[in-house]
Amino acid sequence: MENITFKLTKKLKTIGFVMVAIGLLALAYGFIAGLGGDRIVANLHLNSFYFTSLGLIGMFFVAVHAISESGWQVSMQRVGEAMSLFIPIGGIIMLLVFVFGGMHHLFEWTHTEHLDEILLGKVAYLNQPFFYVRFAVFFAGWTVLAWMIRKTSRELDINGDIKYFNKLRKYSAFYVVFLAVSSVVSSWDWLMSIDAHWFSTLYGWYVFSSMLVTGFSVIVIFTYILKRMGYMQHVNDEHIHDMGKYMFALSIFWAYLWFSQYMLIWYANIPEETIYFYERIKHFDTIFYWNLIVNFAIPFLLLMTRNSKRVSSVVIPVAVIIFIGHWMDLYQLIMPGAVGYEAAGIGFLEIGVTIGFTGLFMLVTFFGLSKVPLVPKNHPFYEESLHYHTNY
Amino acid sequence: MYVSPIREPLIRGEKDYSQVTKDILAPMAGKPTRYWYMGITLSSAALLFGAWATFMTMYYGIGTWGLNKTVGWGWDITNFVWWVGIGHAGTFISAILLLFRQKWRTSINRSAEAMTLIAVACAGFFPLIHMGRLLLGFFIFPYPNTRALWVNFNSPLLWDVFAISTYLLVSLIFWYVGLIPDLGTVRDKATTKIRKAIYGFLSFGWTGSVKQWSRHETVSLILAGLAAPLVLSVHTIVSFDFATSVIPGWHTTIFPPYFVSGAVFSGFAMVLTLLIVARKALGLEEYITVNHIESMNKVIILTGSIVGIAYITEFFMAWYSGVEYEQYAFLNRAFGPYAWAYWIMMTCNVVTPQLFWFKKIRTSVVATFIISIFVNIGMWFERFVIVVTSLHRDFLPSSWVMYKPSLVEVGLYVGTLGLFFTLFLLFIRVFPVIAIAEVKSVLKSTGSFKKTGHHE
Amino acid sequence: MNKSYITAYYTDDDDLLKGIRQLKEKGVEIIDVMTPFPVHGLDKAIGLRRSRLSRVAFWGGTIGALIGFFFQAWVFTKAYPLNFGGKPYLSVPSFMPVAFEMAVLFAAFSIVFAYLIYFKLTPGAKPVIHDERSTDDRFLVVVKAGEPGESASIEKALSEAGAEGIKLKA
Repeated sequence: MENITFKLTKKLKTIGFVMVAIGLLALAYGFIAGLGGDRIVANLHLNSFYFTSLGLIGMFFVAVHAISESGWQVSMQRVGEAMSLFIPIGGIIMLLVFVFGGMHHLFEWTHTEHLDEILLGKVAYLNQPFFYVRFAVFFAGWTVLAWMIRKTSRELDINGDIKYFNKLRKYSAFYVVFLAVSSVVSSWDWLMSIDAHWFSTLYGWYVFSSMLVTGFSVIVIFTYILKRMGYMQHVNDEHIHDMGKYMFALSIFWAYLWFSQYMLIWYANIPEETIYFYERIKHFDTIFYWNLIVNFAIPFLLLMTRNSKRVSSVVIPVAVIIFIGHWMDLYQLIMPGAVGYEAAGIGFLEIGVTIGFTGLFMLVTFFGLSKVPLVPKNHPFYEESLHYHTNY
Repeated sequence: MYVSPIREPLIRGEKDYSQVTKDILAPMAGKPTRYWYMGITLSSAALLFGAWATFMTMYYGIGTWGLNKTVGWGWDITNFVWWVGIGHAGTFISAILLLFRQKWRTSINRSAEAMTLIAVACAGFFPLIHMGRLLLGFFIFPYPNTRALWVNFNSPLLWDVFAISTYLLVSLIFWYVGLIPDLGTVRDKATTKIRKAIYGFLSFGWTGSVKQWSRHETVSLILAGLAAPLVLSVHTIVSFDFATSVIPGWHTTIFPPYFVSGAVFSGFAMVLTLLIVARKALGLEEYITVNHIESMNKVIILTGSIVGIAYITEFFMAWYSGVEYEQYAFLNRAFGPYAWAYWIMMTCNVVTPQLFWFKKIRTSVVATFIISIFVNIGMWFERFVIVVTSLHRDFLPSSWVMYKPSLVEVGLYVGTLGLFFTLFLLFIRVFPVIAIAEVKSVLKSTGSFKKTGHHE
Repeated sequence: MNKSYITAYYTDDDDLLKGIRQLKEKGVEIIDVMTPFPVHGLDKAIGLRRSRLSRVAFWGGTIGALIGFFFQAWVFTKAYPLNFGGKPYLSVPSFMPVAFEMAVLFAAFSIVFAYLIYFKLTPGAKPVIHDERSTDDRFLVVVKAGEPGESASIEKALSEAGAEGIKLKA
C-alpha cells in the first residue's frame, strides 16, 4: 500500500530555505553593488509574475480537466492544487514591489508630470488608482476561486458525493472564464504597459501560452520529484506521455503565436510597432534568438517521437529547459523596456533572485501537498486515472 | 479500459455490431425519400442560379459585380472566408478531437469531414472567379513558364493557394483513408452485382486483417497529428491576407488565432445545422444523440467566447493604440453606415452562444438548431464587417463610398450554397454517413451494452 | 508445402482475444485475423511490431519543408530577384507559411502512399474474402492447417478456444 500523505521532510525544508536565502543574498548584492533600482525592481517583478503564473496554471490544469470531464489526470491533480497556493503570495510580493517605489521604475506612464501626447491619450486606462483596482480584482478573483476549488475538491474527497463533483465543475468553469479574461488584461497591465507606447492585440494570448507551457512542465517536474521520493507510484508512462504531449503541443502553439505576432509586425513594417522588435533584435539579440531555439526547437525535436514522450529521462530535462526558457522569454519582454540595454544583464542578481523564488515556490507547493491526501480517492474518475492506458 | 460508471453511454439503445452496420447503411439502401428529392430540387435550383451568375461574370467580367474603386473586396472574399471557416469543423473534429481522445467524435466525424471538403471547394471558387478568368486559374501555381516569372512567394494570397490546396488534399486523403474500411463493409453487404463491383473498386481491396487495422490506426493518428496544425495554419494564413496589410481594422496581431477560433465556431454551427436535420431524416438519433449535440455546443461556447474576447480586445486596443485611423475604423464599424452589420455580428456571435451556458438550452435540439443558424449568419457578417467596413472609408475622404452587391454576386453566393447542399445530399446516398468501424470500436466501452469491471 | 488453412470465427472481440491467446499457447500458427474494427490489444496478442510509419512521415515532412523553403529562396535570390515592399530578397519569415504547408503535404502523402502500397490497397484490387461478415460482426481467424494428419487436432484446438464455424480450406 502506498503512502498517500506527503511529509514535508526536514531536508526539503532546508533546501527550500537555503534557496530563499540565496535569493535574499542576491537581492542584497544588487543593492550593495549598485546595480540600480530599475534592475532590482524589474527582477522582482519578473519573478513574482512568473511564479504567480505557475500557480495560476496549476489551478488551470485542475479546472480545465474538470470541465472537460477527463479522467486520466485525476491522480495528479493535487500537484496543480498545491501550486495554486502561491497565487496570493506572488500577489503580495508584487504589491510590495509596486508600493515601495517599483511603479516608477517599471512604468513610464506613472510619471504623469511629463507624458507625451500618446501616453496622455491612455491616461483613462493607465493611471495608478485604476491599475491598483484591477490588480486587486485579479488577485482576489484568483485567490478566492482557487480556494473554493481546493475546498470543494477536498469535500469531494471526504464525501464522494456527486454533488460536490458538480460543484467542482461549476467553480472550475468560473475560474477558467475569469482567468481567460484576467490573464489577458493583467498581461497588458504588468508587462505590455512597460513599453507604454507599444501595443499588440495578440500580446495577452502570447503571454498566456507561455504561462501554460511552463505551468504544465512544472507540474511534470513536481510529479517526478514526488515519484522519486516514493509517492504517487501509480503515475506511469501513460501519464508522463500525456504530459509530454502537452509540452510538445503547447511549445508548438507558443511558437505559432510568436510567429504570428512577429511576422505581422515585420511584414506591415509600421514604425511604432516595429520599434519593439528592433530594440530586442539590436540589443538583446542573443536572448531573442535563443528564446526560439530553447522554447521551440528543443522541445519540438526532443519530444517528437512517441518513446521520448514516455520516458522521464527526456521529459524531465525538457521540462526544466522549458522552465528556464520561458523565464528568458519573460526577461526579453520586460527588461528592454524596464531597464534598457545599457543597464540590463544576467548576473548573480538575476540568477540568485530566481533561485530564491524557486525555493519559495517549492516550499509553498510542498507545504500544500503535505496538508491533504496526495490522491483524491473519492473523485468519480479516480479509478480511470489509476487504470489509465491508451494506445496513443 | 476502465470507464467510470457516471459517464453516460455515447450510443443509445441495445445494439450489437451487426445492428450498427444495419442502422448506418440503412440511408444508403432503397429509394430516396420524398424529402431528399425536395432537398435536391431546391439545391439544384440554387446551383443553377449560381451557374447563371458564373456565366455573367465570365462573359461580361467582374464589372457585373457591385465592387468599385474603393471597395475592391466585397461578397466574394466574405464568402471565401466564410466557407473556409465552415470547412474547419470537419478536420478539427477528426484530428484535434482524436488527439484529445474525445470518443463522441466517432459519430460525427465522417459527415463533418465530407462537409469540410465540400465547403473548401466552395471557398476555392471565389478567389478563382474573382480573378475574372476561370480558365487561367492555373497561373497561381508556380510552374516554369515562358514569361520566366515565378509567383510572388511574399504574398499572403499566394500562401493561401498553398494552404487551401494542401488543406483540401490532406483532408481528402484523411477522409478517404477513414472511409476505406467502411466501403469494405458496404461492398460485403451489397445485394446487387453492380453495387458490389462499384464498392469493391472503391474499397481498394480492404480485408480488415489485423495488420491492416493496426497500421490503419497509426496512419490515422499521424494524419491527425499533421492535420491539427494544418487546420490552425489554414485560417491563420487566411487572416494574413488581411493582417499583413496596413489597413486600419485589418492590421492587428490577434487575427491568426482569432480567425482560427471563429472558423471552428462557424464550422461547428454548420455541422449542427446539418446534422440536426440529418439525424432526424436518416433515423440516426441513437447515434447522434443529445449528448453529442451538447458536446458540440460546449465547443461553440468555448470558441464563441474566444471570438468575443477578441472583438473586445481589438476594440480596446484600437483606442489604446492612440492611432487615430485605427480608432476611427472601429468607431465607423460600430456607429457608421454599416453599424447594422456590426450589431448583427455582435448579437449572433457574442450574445447567442452564451445561452448555451444553460443546460436546458444546450440540451434542447430545437434551441440548438436555431442558435446554430444565428451563428452561421453572425459569422458571415463578421467577415462582411471586416472586409467592407475597413475598405469603404479609406484614408482619403473624397473616395469614401458605399458598397452594395449586385444580383450576380448574390447569385454566386446562393450558387455555392446550392453546390454545398447538393453534394451533401449526394454524399449521404453514396457513402456511410457515420464511421461504422469507429463507432463499433467504441461501442463496448461507451455503448449501452457496456460491461462492468475492466477488461484490458 | 501444404497450403491448406482453416478458418473459424468469433462473434465477440473479447472472446477473440482470449481465444487467440489460447491458440498461441497451444502453438497453433495464426496466419491472419480479420476483424470489422480495430480490436484493442490484438496487434500485441498476434505479436506485431510497432509501426515504423512515423519515420516515413518525418522524412516526408523534412523533404517537403526543405523543398518548400529552398525553392522560394532560389526564386527570390537567383532566378528572378524582385523587390517586394523593401524586404530583403531572402525574407525568411515570409517563406515560412509555404514551407510549412509543403512539409504537411509531403508528410501526409508519403505516409498514406506508403500505407496503401505496402498493403497493395489500390482501386479495384481483388482481395480474398473468406467470410463476408468479417466486415460486419464476425472476427475471423485464419490458421495454418499443417500436415494432413494434423488438421483435426488444430480444429479441436480451435473449438476448445471457443471458435465457431470451423472450415478447412485448400
